Amino acid sequence: MSEQQQMDTLVYGSRMVSWSPLGKLLFTITILIVNICTDSLFVPIVTFAIGIVMLFYSTVCKIPKFILLALLGAILIIVIGVIMVLITGNDESCVIWDDHILWLHICVTEISFNKAWLVFLRSIAGMTVMISFATSTPVPHLSQGLNQIHVPNEVTELITLIYRYAFLFLERMEIMWNAAQCRMGFNGFMNTMRTTATIAVGMFITSFDMASKAQIVLECRNYRGVFPVYNMPAKMSVKWILASVIIFAAIFVLGCYTSNTINMAKICGFI
Amino acid sequence: MAVPLFETENLEFSYNSRQSRPSLDNINIAIHKGVRAVVLGANGAGKSTLFYQLNGVLKPKKGVVKYNGKPIDYSQNSLYALRNEVCVAVQNPDEQIFSVTVEEDIAFGLFNTGVHREIIDKSIDDALFKVGMAGYRKKPVSQISKGQRKRVALAGAFAVNPKVLILDEPTAGLDPQTSCEVMEAIDQISITGTSVIISTHDVDLAYAWADEIYVLKNGKMIYSGEPGAFFSDKKSVISAELAIPHSFSVNSYICSMRGESETPYPRTDSQVICKILPSDAKVGKIRLIRTSKSVPDIGKIDERIGIYGFNTRRLFMDSGLPVDYNFNAVEHCIIEALNGNNVTLYCDECIADKIDSRIKSLSQFGKCPEVI
Repeated sequence: MSEQQQMDTLVYGSRMVSWSPLGKLLFTITILIVNICTDSLFVPIVTFAIGIVMLFYSTVCKIPKFILLALLGAILIIVIGVIMVLITGNDESCVIWDDHILWLHICVTEISFNKAWLVFLRSIAGMTVMISFATSTPVPHLSQGLNQIHVPNEVTELITLIYRYAFLFLERMEIMWNAAQCRMGFNGFMNTMRTTATIAVGMFITSFDMASKAQIVLECRNYRGVFPVYNMPAKMSVKWILASVIIFAAIFVLGCYTSNTINMAKICGFI
Repeated sequence: MAVPLFETENLEFSYNSRQSRPSLDNINIAIHKGVRAVVLGANGAGKSTLFYQLNGVLKPKKGVVKYNGKPIDYSQNSLYALRNEVCVAVQNPDEQIFSVTVEEDIAFGLFNTGVHREIIDKSIDDALFKVGMAGYRKKPVSQISKGQRKRVALAGAFAVNPKVLILDEPTAGLDPQTSCEVMEAIDQISITGTSVIISTHDVDLAYAWADEIYVLKNGKMIYSGEPGAFFSDKKSVISAELAIPHSFSVNSYICSMRGESETPYPRTDSQVICKILPSDAKVGKIRLIRTSKSVPDIGKIDERIGIYGFNTRRLFMDSGLPVDYNFNAVEHCIIEALNGNNVTLYCDECIADKIDSRIKSLSQFGKCPEVI
């Protein structure tokens, strides 16, 4: 099973799949916003905890390996960003390390050290919350949810069609890729480049072909300009708004009271 | 003379002006209601293009397409009305399926034809059962195999319950058993009043199933009429890039060896066996049992059992009763009876008479099993 199909299986098997997609979206956005509203390190820790609990509940603790690998990849990118924050401290504050490597002025200060930690934790927490949303909300549910808040039909139908056809294209690409491999298409660097380009062109042409055929089939199936929805997802109830407001208020208050209470530079013994 | 369901007069069509030859060239056909019609032709012969003319998706460059005796009106509302009655299922399921889950896709066609939401639920279940996909209702389409997607696409067509069902290569890409099940479903749909037109290049299927065939070659109609006459003209068959059906050639060889007439042409294995069966051979009986709301209790029997029809299949599945011939059961039961054994065939009440007459029609080939 391809990664996309694994993701699809995960989403449709989620324990949160029947929850209101708009409610989940509101809740996720609320958490993401509150995550960056205060300077407290407690806030991303709490956000991370909420995200991880939701993720484990949604996936019944069965997170596919490719998601973990993707997470690790994302963490690596975040680490690079965090290092940039770390080494570009203002040398007027308490300096932990000040040096020049070639042309680069490295200045790690107490503030930059704490800020780097904050950025790191916020990113990880935000990512966890977003993954828990992504693994519990099928794209068609989301587009139907967006319909409920009067996002134009054209936009939501495009979302659904893109999602549906993405799988077909990936499947087609995999077939072309395997066929190229069978014919030694990836033998050597130049050959690999040529084959990849040919496959890309093939995919481009296929997309036109598919689009024209889809038009014919839509007419055959008596399409009248709107994709009808059989399974309407649950609507967003007041409970979701209340839950979002409460969680926002609680975390925000926590953040205000605990702001600057944790000094990572001190904990790590740099000052 | 009855008005043909579909009639084309000097139909000509090209996708663009740069084509060296038209995709359809001077096509004149008349398909009548209730006739099992097959459009035969090699790849690129124009079968799909012809189908898209019949439901108004493509408009002829020259000539006329008539439905129920009236030329097709290409205004949007008339086309909606036409497509409510004439359903075309395309060959590739990936082109046919738009929705992400199986039930959503079947509901797509139903919503478009104006079926009420309350009826949709049952229609989805029925359609999926007909194609042997009852347990897949909630599955995402991306998680089922291509053969299963094909069945879902057919279920989508069956569900809308059209007056005319046009199926482009309905058995392409299916395994033999599923292929038989699908043809059985198509058979039953045609028996119960829907006119079915299919396209294929599977000559065995066309020969066994069709009342009339329409053979296309490079966009031109080279034959229309009864299948036997076409396949007896080997030159035409080769020219159409087709092959001789298996049962047709077996009959030819046997008749040539025995010095007998090839007619009547047997189209199925059972008809061939009937024809070559020795006159003193012992033939078994077929006990034809009609089912409606439950499986009739006939006591313990020491015979092979076959089932045919949606309702019968459902009843046997629900009751867990043993079955020997689950698919292509009529053919299997006839052959078993011709082999000298008695068999029991359970079938839906609405198609029992047709099956009875199908078995009795074997008498034209020689010995035929007695139906009790």
